[in-house]
Amino acid sequence: MRIGQVIGTVTMNQQEAAFKGARWLVVNPLVAEQLNTACDVEPGLTRIPSVVIYDKLGAGENDIVGFVEGAEATAPFDEPTPIDAISVAIFDSIDHVPYPPEDDDE
Amino acid sequence: MLLCRVVGNAVATHSHPSLDGFTLLLCQKENEGGVPDGDPPFVAIDLFGAGMHQRVFVSTDGIGARGVVHDDHSPVRNFVQGVIDD
Repeated sequence: MRIGQVIGTVTMNQQEAAFKGARWLVVNPLVAEQLNTACDVEPGLTRIPSVVIYDKLGAGENDIVGFVEGAEATAPFDEPTPIDAISVAIFDSIDHVPYPPEDDDE
Repeated sequence: MLLCRVVGNAVATHSHPSLDGFTLLLCQKENEGGVPDGDPPFVAIDLFGAGMHQRVFVSTDGIGARGVVHDDHSPVRNFVQGVIDD
C-alpha cells in the first residue's frame, strides 16, 4: 500500500451502477521526506501524480491514508466492481527512519 | 517478491478490519547491493516481527496476502514473507 494525503473529493452525476453510494477521494502520494511529520503538519503537494481512490473508511480532507492499487482493490466487493484503488488505512502516526542512516548531529 | 529494507512503521486505528492485529511496516525497495531505488517507502504487513533496518522479502501477491490475514475480502497485497539473514 502506498501513502498519500487526501487533497479533495470527486463527485459524479453519472457513474457505473456498481458505484452507488461510493465516495471518491483525490490523494496525493507522499515522498519519503514527508512521512515523519505528515500526520502532524500538513505535507505540501508532491510531484507524484495524484490518484482517485474509492473510500469506505470515511477519510477526510488532509487525512494521511494508505491505499492499495490494482486487482486487490476489488477484493472487498461481492460483485465485480471496476475500481483500481481503494483506501485501506487512515494513519495516526508514521515513524520513518531512513536507511542508510543520515549523519548524526547528536 | 520485492527486496526491501524496513525503514519504519505506521499506526492506523482506523483501517480495513482484516488488518487488525498486524504491524504495518514501512518498506523501502532496494537493489541487490542494498541501494534504495528512490521510490517512496510503502506499507506491508508483518508476520515475523522484522526489526528496524533489517532486509526483508515482501510479497506482492494479493491471493497470498488474503490467505495470510484469513479474509477473502481483504484488499491487502504486500506482506513480509521473510527476513533476510545474509
